[in-house]
Parts: sequence; C-alpha cells; structure tokens
Amino acid sequence: MFSDTSSRLSKVLAPLLFLLPALAIYLTFAIYPTLSVVQYSFHDWDGISPDMEWVGLGNYLEMFDDRIFWEAFRNTFAWSAFIIVINVGLGLVIAAMLSRVWRARLILQTAIVLPVVLAPVTVATIWRWMYQPDGVINEAFRGVGLEALATPWLGSPDVVLFALAFAHSWSTIGLSVIIFLAGLQAVDEDLYDAAKVDGATTLQAFRHVTMPALRPVTAVVFILTLTASFKVFDIIWATTQGGPIRSSELLSTYMYKRGALENNYGYGAAIGVALLVIVSLATIIYMQIQEKKDA
Amino acid sequence: MFARYLLLLVLTVIAVLMSAPSIMTVFTSLKPATELGDPAWFPPLAPTFEHYVRVWTEGGFGKYFGNTVLISAIDAVVMIFIASMAAYAMVFIDFPGKLLLKFVFLLGLMIPVTAIILPLYSTVRSFGLINSHLGVILADLALAVSVFVFMFTSYFVGIPKALHEAARIDGASEFQIYRRVVLPISAPVIVTTGLLEFMWSWNDLLLRLLLLPREDMRTLSVGLLNFQGTQTRDITALSAGTVIMAVPVVALFLIFQRHFVRGMTSGAVK
Repeated sequence: MFSDTSSRLSKVLAPLLFLLPALAIYLTFAIYPTLSVVQYSFHDWDGISPDMEWVGLGNYLEMFDDRIFWEAFRNTFAWSAFIIVINVGLGLVIAAMLSRVWRARLILQTAIVLPVVLAPVTVATIWRWMYQPDGVINEAFRGVGLEALATPWLGSPDVVLFALAFAHSWSTIGLSVIIFLAGLQAVDEDLYDAAKVDGATTLQAFRHVTMPALRPVTAVVFILTLTASFKVFDIIWATTQGGPIRSSELLSTYMYKRGALENNYGYGAAIGVALLVIVSLATIIYMQIQEKKDA
Repeated sequence: MFARYLLLLVLTVIAVLMSAPSIMTVFTSLKPATELGDPAWFPPLAPTFEHYVRVWTEGGFGKYFGNTVLISAIDAVVMIFIASMAAYAMVFIDFPGKLLLKFVFLLGLMIPVTAIILPLYSTVRSFGLINSHLGVILADLALAVSVFVFMFTSYFVGIPKALHEAARIDGASEFQIYRRVVLPISAPVIVTTGLLEFMWSWNDLLLRLLLLPREDMRTLSVGLLNFQGTQTRDITALSAGTVIMAVPVVALFLIFQRHFVRGMTSGAVK
C-alpha cells in the first residue's frame, strides 16, 4: 500500500522536477510577457505608475491613423523583400556553385558563411565605416571611374534602407547557403544522370531537375529570412536609429522609440502585437511546410 | 574544363568580396596613425597593438569582455541542463498534459523578442533584476529554451527505448538514467546547444540595452554601440573594439564549424 502511493507520487513528481527549471523560467520571462503585451495594448500606461487606464481599441485606432506607423510598416516590408530576393536568389546560386566544387570547397564555404556568426552590432560598425562619404565603398567606385555611383549611403533617404538591408544580407546569406547546400545534397544523383543522357545542359538540368527538387527547401529559406528580417532591431539601432527623416524606420525601432523611450507602453505594445501576429503567422506556415517535408 | 575554372574563379571572387569587410577591419585595427591615410585595403606595414591596449583599458572593453563572458558562459551551461531535462521528461516519462505542454513550448518558437520587450522589462524590474546579470540570463534562457527543448527532443527520440527500459529494470531512478545513460551519449546535441546559446547571448544587443543600463554592467555589444556614438572619428579604436567582440565567436566557429552548421540549420527558427 505504502510503496504504491510513493511510487505514484514519484510518477507525478519525476516529470515535474525535470520540467520545473525550464518551465518556470519560460513561463515567467517569455509567456507571461507575451500575454502582457496584448493586455498593455488595450491600456494607456507610462510603464511606471501603478494604474493602467483601459482604452479598449484606442491604441489600435491611433495606430491605424498614424502616418509614421504605416511608413515603418512599408519600410519593414520593403526591407524584407530586398533581403529575401538576395538571400533566397543569390543564396541558391552560390550554394549550387559550391556544390559542384570539391577542392577548395571548405575554404570558400567558410569565407562565405563566416559573417553569420558576427553580432549585428559588429556588422553595423563595419558597414557604417565602409558606407561613410569618404569610406572604402565610395573610394572603390571613384577608383574605377564610377564616380557617379558614389553617394553618402547612410545619409541619403533614398538608399539608406537598401544599403542597410545589403549589410544585413551580407551577414545572413551564409545561413541560406548552408540550408540550400543540405537540400542540394539530398537531390537524387540519378536524376542528373538521366538529364545528361537526354542531352540537357548544366543550366537546363538546374532549371528542370534541381529547382523543382528544391522547392520545399526554398520555402523554408523564404520564411526563415522573412521572420528574421521582421525581427531586426540591432543593426538599424546601431547605425541610423531609423533616420534620416524616418527613411530607415522599421516597426521594431518605432516601437522601441514610442514604448521604451517615450514611455508610451500601451501604444508601443500595440505595435508589438502587430509584429507578433505577422511573425507568428509566418512561423506557423513554416512549421506546416516542415511537417509536410518530414512526412 | 574551362567551365570548371570559371566556376572556381567566380566563387573565389565572391569569397574575397565576402571576407573583405572583415579583413579590412582587422587591417585598420592594426595600423599606426601614420598609415591611416592609406586605402583601407592596404595591409598594415608596421602593425601595432596600441589601439587594442587603449580600447581594452581606457575604453572599458576589458570590463565589458568579462561581463559578456560571464553571461554567455552561464547561459550556455544552464541552457544545456534545463533544455535536456525538459526534453527527457517529454520523451521518456509518461504524464498527463504532454501534448498541451508541447504546444506551449511551440509558442516559444513564434515569439519575436522584439515584440515583447516592454512587458519583459516590467517583469524583470518587478523581480528587482534590472542592472543584474541574472536578469539578462533569465530572459535569454526563457526566450531561447524552446528551440533547444525541441533540438534535444528530436535527438532523444532516436535513442532506443530498450536502453531506457533496461536501466529501469536495473532499478535506476529517472534522474540516474538521465545522468548516467542519456547525457553521456548526447554529446553532439550538447555541444551544438552550448555553442549556439553562447553565440546568441554573446551577440545580442537589444536585451542588454534594455536590462543593463548601468555602465559597469555593460556587455561588449552595448559597449561597442556607445563607443560608436562617442568615437566616430577614432576609426582605429572602433575597429579594434569590433575585432575584440568578433574574435571569440569566430574562433569557436572555425573550431566547431560542423556543429555550428548543423545547429544553425536545425535551430534556424529562432
């Protein structure tokens, strides 16, 4: 009798003890703040005073009327689109080229993937220096007689967003290359042999064998790049903080300014919820693709 | 044959362009003042470490380095334990509500840190942990633990159930099985977890900016950010600071490249 209860007790206790450390930290510092951000978004709150004032959908209505919010929203999409084109398009091409090289493959791959481990603030520091009006990029353009292309990259509202997106792509494309390489290795060799027998050129084989086989992997890279680019904060904050004249303002930097710097927690939270919804939807789609691929 | 060389040439050009920004930064950090007028792609002729010494002592990077190592190392070690224990329960122990719990952990893969920083700040403050390394460590662990629980879970699923059963029959407790049977054969996923969490923690700016406002608590990421604001003209010091921040993660990457690659492809969701 006694041993029966004690074994039942241990049956309940064992999983609890194993889960407790992870679960306690996770629920307190990830799940609770996530629920709170939704709660904040229905209130007016300065982040300090004990009272929050219920304003219902007020913050969301203000958001929909806020010209700067929509500017940040558009910028975030343009930013993501640019990065997706580079990381998915160029990432696939580089991976396809790397997969056909044997000697020197490791050193080439290492050089291309290495920036992936650099901190966004490191990347920001390096590129801010290179983008200076008298920096190395403009010097290089002048050196080869393309004087007209030299421009103050981070000071010009027309190019700043893409200049920073390019720097972000420099440091993240390695991840796409790795994932594409893994996908390419899984493509059936026999298909290539069959294409060769049929007289297909390398490019035709790439178009008709490689690309269809890589469709699921491409979807994965697409969504990963999308979610990662929506979450970006560090590289913008460490270079332009959204300027000049808001031309590199993203949802994340705008939220930080309104919420954390201006102590407008309710409004900042509403922007946070918008981010949360967009990224969660993309992630759910991603997981569905992953599941289909595994099945 | 020609096509093969062309391919190699194109790839070499890409690799050189990809490495150029990092290499030029290292060059600049080693140049004496007399060589600063040279183009950035010129290697230093009389390399000097004076900028590193200056940044490390006067710039406070020595202190920031210590803070960063402390936070990242604790993050990595604790993450290995809490994630592997949770995954052990999810795979080897039967208990009610497991499916719900899996769903709760799944949520963690979707939450963008950026979206929840305001309530996260309030939560950490309500524990009195602003300006405490513990506060950042707890936030780091909470926001990444899901990724690693799933990484450990998918590894543990591959361990034969018979191994667990046999240990059970020998009278071992769950904790003994976890420590003496399961952990010793999980080296690959342990290494990957430690490396990835260390790197994420090392590189993060946003949480440190928010949770460690006091100067003496600063990490390298915040130090570099502030340094950039105050030292815009002193490019040698700035590049030395950049290199100091990059060297540890680059070294880890070069040593454990295969683990990194595997981890980043499977943990890429974060």
